[in-house]
Amino acid sequence: MVAPDAVSEEDIDKLIIPDNLPDEPTFKTYIEAKVYDKEGHIIDYRKQPMKSLTQYFLALMSIPLIGTFQGSSNYNATDILTNTLGLPSQVSVYSYTPNISWEWSIQVGSGTQTFSPTLNSLAAPIPNGTAVGDLLYGSIGVAYTATTIYIVESVSNNTGNTINVTEIGLQCTIYLQYQNPSNSYAVNTYNFLLSYDTFSTAISIPAGGFATFQIVISFTG
Amino acid sequence: MMVGKDISDISVKVPEDAHDTGKYMPTFSAYLTAIVRDSQGRVVSVHRQRSHSPTANFMGLFLPLNWYGSSNNSFTLTNATGGTCTYQPSLGQFTYEITYPSVDGYPTYLVGIQVGSGQQSNAFNAYNLAAPIANGSGVGQLVYGSPSVSTNVSASGSSAYISIMQTFANQSGGTINVTELGIMVAVQLGEASLGYTTNCGNLLIWYDVLSSSISVPNGGSLTIAYTFTVNP
Repeated sequence: MVAPDAVSEEDIDKLIIPDNLPDEPTFKTYIEAKVYDKEGHIIDYRKQPMKSLTQYFLALMSIPLIGTFQGSSNYNATDILTNTLGLPSQVSVYSYTPNISWEWSIQVGSGTQTFSPTLNSLAAPIPNGTAVGDLLYGSIGVAYTATTIYIVESVSNNTGNTINVTEIGLQCTIYLQYQNPSNSYAVNTYNFLLSYDTFSTAISIPAGGFATFQIVISFTG
Repeated sequence: MMVGKDISDISVKVPEDAHDTGKYMPTFSAYLTAIVRDSQGRVVSVHRQRSHSPTANFMGLFLPLNWYGSSNNSFTLTNATGGTCTYQPSLGQFTYEITYPSVDGYPTYLVGIQVGSGQQSNAFNAYNLAAPIANGSGVGQLVYGSPSVSTNVSASGSSAYISIMQTFANQSGGTINVTELGIMVAVQLGEASLGYTTNCGNLLIWYDVLSSSISVPNGGSLTIAYTFTVNP
């Protein structure tokens, strides 16, 4: 492709977006759900592509991609971290160096909503517990092989009634750890939704049964 | 703990009516755009291709605490000179994680896009380019401009993207051929309560071999843009 005239920065922006390259997926992700009855027999199995990553996924990716500082001598957080995630430009400290880390978890819900990349919660999250409408969430499991990450969450229905799951999200909690101006250790937390998907039909978890939900994120390389 | 066996142990029979769409849809895409200008500033070529390759360093830095904490895992980060750094983040006063800005510094920051004239097949294990092109105006060199990064995640409809852009000027006196490129980040790990830090050096985070060589004419320039997008 040859263009005869000089190109402005605005023209470059137009070249960068949209993505109209031939479809060669460089990233694969899917959701898997298995439902068991109270005897441990599998009664439902779903596997579907994850369709909807949020802007917060990109913002989290930006930490390894571009770092947290604006530059080698600019001690302010990147604009993506402050503008998209709402993190502070600097952490006020007694001394020493703040740091950043994050955890992931899977949340399921009983509602549905239209996806937007700015979505930050499920429509109707199912609480953790044993009361009516609750599910008991187990500990999250994360495994990793080369460019693929597996996130698994188990939930038990100890309520006495069937619970229907219609939506699922991958959530992230970011931790900023630092020594505050009073010279005490402190941690600030920030919560984000990294993905949001709905199931084509509700997943029913019977009373006494349980389910495992797995999200697989693969950078195919 | 939940009832039942590990999810990988699924020897039970899957029902006949199990739902499995089976077709993966890309919800994330990465690609790069390279724009070559001649000495008069005219665009002489535009190259676009998929970007394929996060490195092991990227994966190690992207993994959540859950993975590190579950089995006391650690990850070995390898910098551009082959030096290594053990990464084992967790919550606590005396653990080492990626530094976050304060007046004290110790920055973790984008060094920039590195371009090169070689290639290597195993991008995942790459920690430097095969043949990095040096910054300068000598023979075989390019003058590296400063990288620029999106100031926000740009969202439109269901899609959103960020981009990283950098321009390289050819003042070498001859044509320079670029065949590979990657994103380099300087990483420091800091411990919140005692102030100890570990400088891991410059880490190759993302790496691509160009599908065809790009020739930058003498006096001309090359602008590279990496774009990362969700729900394209």
